[in-house]
Order: sequence, then structure tokens, then C-alpha cells
Amino acid sequence: MNTSIGKRILLITILLSALLILIGIIAIAAGSSGIHFWETLAIMAGKNGTDNATATIIWQIRLPRVILAAFVGGSLALGGLVFQALLRNPLAEPYILGISGGSAIGAILAMLLSLSYFPGVTIFSFTGSLLVLAFVTALAGTTLGNTMLSRDSLLLGGVMMNAFCAAVIMFLISMTRSFQVQHILYWLMGDLATMQKGQLPILLLVLPCFMIIFMLARPMNLLLLGRETAAAMGINVKNIVMLLLIITSLMVSIIVSLSGLIGFVGLVIPHIFRLLLGPDHRLLVPACLLGGASYLILCDLLARLLPSSGELPVGIITALIGAPLFIVLLLRNRT
Amino acid sequence: MPRNVHIIFFLAVLFLLQPGNMFAGTVTDQVGRTLMVPENPQRVVALAPSITEIIYDLGQEDRLVGVTQYSTYPSEAQSLPRVGSYVRLDIEKIVALKPDLCLATKDGNPKHIVDKIVNLGIPVYVINPRNLQQIMDTVTGLGSLLHAEKAASKLVFEMEKRIGQVQERVKNEPSRPRVFFQIDAEPLFSAGTDTFIHELIELAGGINTTAGEVSYPRYTWEDIIVLQPEIVLISSMAGGLTPEYLLNSWKKWDLVSAVKNDRIFVVDAELFDRPTPRLVQGLEVIAAILHPELFVQDGKKTEE
Repeated sequence: MNTSIGKRILLITILLSALLILIGIIAIAAGSSGIHFWETLAIMAGKNGTDNATATIIWQIRLPRVILAAFVGGSLALGGLVFQALLRNPLAEPYILGISGGSAIGAILAMLLSLSYFPGVTIFSFTGSLLVLAFVTALAGTTLGNTMLSRDSLLLGGVMMNAFCAAVIMFLISMTRSFQVQHILYWLMGDLATMQKGQLPILLLVLPCFMIIFMLARPMNLLLLGRETAAAMGINVKNIVMLLLIITSLMVSIIVSLSGLIGFVGLVIPHIFRLLLGPDHRLLVPACLLGGASYLILCDLLARLLPSSGELPVGIITALIGAPLFIVLLLRNRT
Repeated sequence: MPRNVHIIFFLAVLFLLQPGNMFAGTVTDQVGRTLMVPENPQRVVALAPSITEIIYDLGQEDRLVGVTQYSTYPSEAQSLPRVGSYVRLDIEKIVALKPDLCLATKDGNPKHIVDKIVNLGIPVYVINPRNLQQIMDTVTGLGSLLHAEKAASKLVFEMEKRIGQVQERVKNEPSRPRVFFQIDAEPLFSAGTDTFIHELIELAGGINTTAGEVSYPRYTWEDIIVLQPEIVLISSMAGGLTPEYLLNSWKKWDLVSAVKNDRIFVVDAELFDRPTPRLVQGLEVIAAILHPELFVQDGKKTEE
């Protein structure tokens, strides 16, 4: 790695980290019980002079939620980036490819069996996502290297898988009589409110996934040149692709089992940064991670503040922003 | 009036006159959780409309600092701060109200949210009434939590008296009409055995045609023609539709006995969908519909 790229990575990381911290503090300062910017800063600086309820709200309610939003946003953006590189398709994303749907089926099955969030729901959801992944890639003929990958068949396979998963999910819900249904429905819409404080340590599991993906940034660059070129440059294409697919699916499953289905983050964020920074994954991996985290914190803040009473599931906000953008990209790609 | 009602009342009074050892700090709620409660709660948040209603019934609304979205009865409750709806509670707003006690219901408030509130150091007392007797127990329990024992026993006495009166009247009535209670329209939903509506129909001297394991079973018109209910009761909330529309949707099925004999009635949903003392009023409404000859004339003749 030469020094100039190293410097750029460092610069981007510092800038986006600063942005993430700023947005994080704003999100911690605002909520349904009011917005208290200076008071929040005072409490976070350790001054306990103000009243107890505000401190509880900040430390125990808003902070865990902002941390969750950051991890979810970062993981989904990174997941989108990896799928787009592997499939050489700018429209690939875990949600659109049906991977999220597959892991949702697994997660709902586990919830109906009253398994614990971890490891029960996570393992079921990981299994579900791997099954869908295997099916979609087989369908598109992209499995590990022979056929030329076809953008349309891949997307179509994903759309069909998504529809199929949605039907299975509806079936499972219609068969459920208990009031679990309500919980599952909100979870499906993508909801950060159901998170328990005790679940935060589970998020640490995605950190090694981040590391591995960052270390594979250079091979991802070479993969973009085509599999033959990458192989000629000394890359074991089959192993790298396999490793990335499994790591990314694991990361997405952990996130889905905690936050439900949140779509389009993995589409919007990588696209913005590819426009700004170019195609180098050594820059894009940290940028998507930090940018995705900031983006979802912001979306979650909107979800909490927009309705006059109660709150929206954040998946609705990300879809309202992401779907129109997806259409714009689709039109641009055609021309 | 039946004698056993007097005895129950007597026992209830005896029970309540006991020195207050059960409210000295630690109590067990209706789902068997043990919790510490304040000696004299001053800032109570009611996490369901039914709880709000019972607190007003007990005259303890001064202690109430927060209610949920659909707390519409009594109307004064609507001016209190809202903490979200009972299934989607806004924890941040609850904490901001600085409650010293939250009152929750097992049937409605998600357990993980109740756990979250408890983890934030706020005591949560969970009620779980499954039948009329348990509603009276709930009234007694909340009465002792909120230092309103007298009002609670008066309310329970009143409920028992009115339930007793209905039972007394239908006791010797040989006819037991077959009832279909429609709680929702398009699709049709009714009430199974483990519901208040089932209990009210039975107490009012009727047979619930949709008795069964499933609490809120779904029906089709085909099923209803087979069921042949003699009386149809329609909840006024069914499907968000107007009473005229709901009545008309039955009219075309004139091979159903209730339709043929024009015994279809729209009843006020509020009297049937909340586990509160108002269910007794619902019982009286159903009884008067099932056995008009026993109630209408009687009510005019004597005022017991």
C-alpha cells in the first residue's frame, strides 16, 4: 500500500468519524420527550447536576439505540458494497437480493419457537440467508466463476426470492394466534425500538466481519476487473468470493435478527461514496461503514421525531428515501 | 338477592379490614411477580385504557400522571399526557414523567417493554384479569395499591349486586337462545370460550355459538348459515363500519334464524372490549336483549 492511499484512507476515516460523532450527539440530544442539546452535552460530560430522569433517558434509552442504529447502518451499507463488488452489479443489495427476506424467515421461525435472540434467532436467520444466497446465485449462474454474470437474471432471481420469502412470512404470521404477531409485524418493518440493552454485546460479533472485509478490500478491487484478471494477479477467486459471501451473510443475519428488515441502506450509501471517492474499495469500505452508520442514525432520528405521537419503524423511512433513488439509478444505468 | 353475594361481600370486607401487611413495600402482582411498590404512590402511569378507567372508578385520578393513546373513558382522561399506545409504548416519555409506579396489563403490553421499564428502576404492577371475578380482584388489588380500599370494596359490592340480579332473573328462564357475537367485520370474527364476551353471554342466559379453544375465531357466511344463531350481537366497532352497514350485511342471509326473526342488534363496543367494571353494564345490555320479557317490564315495575 503506497503512502498516498494510506493518507487518503486516514483522512476519510477521520472526517467521517467526526461526522458520525456529531450526528450521534444530535440524535442522543433529541427524542420524544424533547430536545435538550446543551443539557445532553453536560450530562455526557459527566455533570450529574441535572435531574435523574433526563440522565436515564440519555444513557439507558437513547444511547443504546444510537449505537444499535450505527452498527445496523454500517453493516448494511458494507453488505451492499460487498455484494455489488462480488456480483459486479451496482444494484445488488442484501434486501433486494432476498437475503434479508431469507434471514427474516429463519428469524420468525425461531421467534415462533420462542428461542432466545442469541444464539437461537441469529443461527436460524443465518441459515435462512445462506439458503437464499445459494439459490439466487445458482439461478443467476454466477456461482464461482464460469458463466458471465447476468445483471437481469440476478435481480429477477432476487425479486422472485423476495416475493417468495414475503409469502412464507405472511403464511407464518397468519398461522400465529398469539399477540407475538404484533411484535413480529413491527420487527418486519425494520424497527430499532424493540432492542434490549442486554443485546448490545451481540453487536460486537460484527466487528471481526468488518475487519475481514477491510482486509479483503484489495482483492475486491481486482475482482471488479473480472475473474480471469483477478486470478492472473494471483488471487484465489473461489476462496475469496466464498469467504466474502459467508462473512457478509453472517453480518447481515446478525443485524436482521436484531433490527428486522431495513432496506436500501446498502444501496444508497455505497452509491453516494462511489460517486464521491471512485471505485477503490480500500477507501469505500471505511467510508461505507462510517457513512452508513451516520445515515441510519439520521433516519432513526426522523423516525422518532416525525410522528406527533409514537414513532415510525425506521425501515419505512429508509425505503421512502431509498426506493426512489433505486429507480433513478435504474434509469441512469439503462442510458 | 342471593345470599352468597352477601357472604362474598362480608368476606371481602373482612379481607380488606386486615391491617395493611400486604401493601407494606412488597406485593405480588397478578402474573406472580414480586415487586417493591411505594407506600403511597403519587405519580402513576397507566399503560392501558382499562387501567385508566379503573383508577378513575376508584377516584384516584389525582395520582395519575400519564395514560395511553386510546384512554378515552372517562373523557377527563384525554387531557392527561400520552405515553404512546398500549402495544407501542414510548419508554422515553414514560421515564420523563418520573413515575413511581407503572400499571401494566399482561394482555396487551408487550413483555419486553415491561421488562425494559423495570430495568430502568420503575416498579411495574401487572394485572391479568381473565373473567369478571378477576376484574373484581383487580379492582381490589389496585384499590390497595392506591390506598382506595373503601372505594374498591364499594365498587366490587356494586358489581356483585348487579351480576347477582341478572343471574337471579335468568335462573328460572328455560329458554337459552343461541348467540353469535360479531366483534369484527370483513372478515368476520367472533369470541371463543376464553373471553369476557363468552362469560357475559353465558351469565345473561344464552349459549355462545362460537365457544371453542380459539379466543377470536374467524368465520365465513357459510359457517354462520350452519351455526344458525338465534340472536346476533354486533360490536359497534366492527371493521370501522357504520351500524347501518353492519346490520345490512346480515339482512340478505334470511335463512339464518336471527335474520328471519329480526333479532340482530348493534351494541356499544366500549362496554365489551375493556376488562373493567363497565362489563357489568354490558352484561345487563346482553341480558335485556336475550330475555326482553324478563327485563324490560321488570325494570319498569320495580326498582330494587
